[in-house]
Amino acid sequence: MSTRQLALLTGATGFLGRRVLRELVNQDWSIRCAVRPSSDTDALAAFFGDQWQSVKSRIRFATGDLTNTDFCRDITDGVDCVLHAAAALGGSASSLVLNTVVPTRTLLTAAADQKVHRVVLVSSLGVYGPQKLPRGSVLDESCPLDEAPAQRDAYTYSKTLQEEVARSISEERDLPLVVVRPGVIYGDERGVLSHRIGLPLGPLLLRMGGGQQIPFTYVDNCAAAIVKAGIAEDVDGQIINVVDDELPTGRDVLRRYRRSGRKVRTIAVPHWSLGCLARFNEWYSRKFEDQIPAVLTRHRVNAMWRPLKYSNERARRLLNWTPTVSLDEAFQRTLSNPSPSTAQ
Amino acid sequence: MSNQRFRVALVGCGQIADAHLQQIRRIPRAETVAVCDLEPLLARQAAERFNVPAQFTDLDQLLRESAPDVLHITTPVHTHAPLACAALRAGVHVYVEKPFAVDITEARRIVETAQDCDRLVCLGHDQLLDPAWRECTRLVKSGIIGDVQHVESHLGYPLQGPFGRQVMADRNHWVRRLPGGLFQNTISHPLYRITEFLSDASPAIHAQWFARQPNHEIPTELRLNLQGQAVTGTLTFTSNSRPYRRVTRILGTEGSIEVDLDTQLCRVDRGERFPGAFAKLEAPLRDFRNSLRNFGRNALRFWRGDFHYFDGMRDLFQSFYTAIENGDESPIPYDEALRVTALMDAVFAECRNNDFRTSLTADVDDGQVVLNLIRETGELVAGACRESLTPVGRPS
Repeated sequence: MSTRQLALLTGATGFLGRRVLRELVNQDWSIRCAVRPSSDTDALAAFFGDQWQSVKSRIRFATGDLTNTDFCRDITDGVDCVLHAAAALGGSASSLVLNTVVPTRTLLTAAADQKVHRVVLVSSLGVYGPQKLPRGSVLDESCPLDEAPAQRDAYTYSKTLQEEVARSISEERDLPLVVVRPGVIYGDERGVLSHRIGLPLGPLLLRMGGGQQIPFTYVDNCAAAIVKAGIAEDVDGQIINVVDDELPTGRDVLRRYRRSGRKVRTIAVPHWSLGCLARFNEWYSRKFEDQIPAVLTRHRVNAMWRPLKYSNERARRLLNWTPTVSLDEAFQRTLSNPSPSTAQ
Repeated sequence: MSNQRFRVALVGCGQIADAHLQQIRRIPRAETVAVCDLEPLLARQAAERFNVPAQFTDLDQLLRESAPDVLHITTPVHTHAPLACAALRAGVHVYVEKPFAVDITEARRIVETAQDCDRLVCLGHDQLLDPAWRECTRLVKSGIIGDVQHVESHLGYPLQGPFGRQVMADRNHWVRRLPGGLFQNTISHPLYRITEFLSDASPAIHAQWFARQPNHEIPTELRLNLQGQAVTGTLTFTSNSRPYRRVTRILGTEGSIEVDLDTQLCRVDRGERFPGAFAKLEAPLRDFRNSLRNFGRNALRFWRGDFHYFDGMRDLFQSFYTAIENGDESPIPYDEALRVTALMDAVFAECRNNDFRTSLTADVDDGQVVLNLIRETGELVAGACRESLTPVGRPS
């Protein structure tokens, strides 16, 4: 995969996809973008600004539905590398499966039919099940997957199932697959207040713990890693976590957020109390049949807010990737724009 | 069956299936034994998330191997009739999610098959059993507002919600292909809240749908007037006004009741008893008393853990299972299911007829401008306007 030929990018109009597209353009790939009929390609024009006309001339847009087998066959024809960044972020579990997992199956099956040289699947760090890792230990690619992703949330469930489907096609059809698992992706359109920092309750934010590291990756850094995963030698079959070098704690993030002049009303939930609260939430939810759903479960607490460290050693080594935007610069860019305050 | 748990199966593992599976889980005498979806990944996610022991992609196989007592159908509406009839012929009782069928012909086919096979069908008019709605109907029956004269039924529908977003984004979405489009999938609930009090088989109908935003490719607003012999009704479907609520106001000869299913509030208004300026003090006091009563009732229900969005659905399931056990009639009478379906057919026909969401084109024909009005259906309203071409400001 050292020569840059034709790349197929899905999710190109999304928050991450736009940056991946820019990276592909900068690295002189020939590019095909699969977009849905409802995708906002005008947003790409706004994103690229003055460069758009020259960028546009280098991109071929294919409009269609990734659940359509014929469409997927067409768009993967002659492609060297598929960068699959399209995914649904919200909605019910069934709609996430329908909009994330089913398209992945169709696309990767077509990619296998067309003998694509590599597929890079953009997954999520959320698929890990670090519940049994000792506190303070390092979460890396050796960590097992969450055994009960459905007990976490619909998004984690859909990403876990997506990876499973992709791996299964890769093994059965001998399709070279690289799975990239970014941490919490943030940037100026998405903000920084991820659920890893706290849970929204009406106008309040319940700050969960505060001393634990947040596995952030700035969107431009993450996009660069994804494109490198399409180029790098000898990475087929690898799983690669993507987090930045400097990882702030939840408390740091809120401090920077407020320092930028933004306001957020928080209620601190100390880390030591999370276990008790989770037990109470589970009991209450069971007793009163989900009048208040079990948002805070021990399973989720131990995955989301467990004090862990995160490593990007494999990404640095295999992809020859270094996050080029520092934490300070990334926060400055993110918080200087009036934009939403939440991150996935 | 009295000592055994009801064996429930479900076909169609989309969004509303989650609500069904959650509510079945709340019924101790029922267990979900199998789920089915043409898409195996959808069947799998439902089975995994709700601990259902069997999953299928073929309904016949499910009916053979899992032998359910009841099948819940939560598939898109155009599949309701064939699936329901297949299950009924296999000897299984059927619960059909609203809307009942694509049209009255298919609805009748389901009912006739149920009668032929001596099985029961229940249509998912579950909000009739919602606790706030039951409180409202209890008050109406108590005579507190006198004789019902008019019902205003309002549905606020967020197009940016999980389902609305899919419909708006996907030009090939099945909802868009229904005769009533988005409304066919949504107005059953606000409509049967009117027909609960408006008993005419064929009330006079005036209905119109339109797109509120220029970028909406399909109608997203609906206004409906119904005129029966004794009672009239209006239905407002709006996708552009907040808050998104399910509110019904019932006007009677002695007063009115407003019920909000989302906040579970029920307000009675019997007018002022004091004259003139005193009434201006009485009205807020009365509102305060209403609010106190509602707060007390909701606080008690919260304390009891009694707030669940789909309580009405669970209660309708229970009523249906009880009717099966006791050999009673379906909790939603067949006549009512058919009447609402026929009414929806008529409403959509009227909407199409009134749909002047048109493109206006102009041709010049022999010195005259002909304005052509083309309906959404492609029908040309010929000769809509024909005016002589009068040169304005042309230099002589």
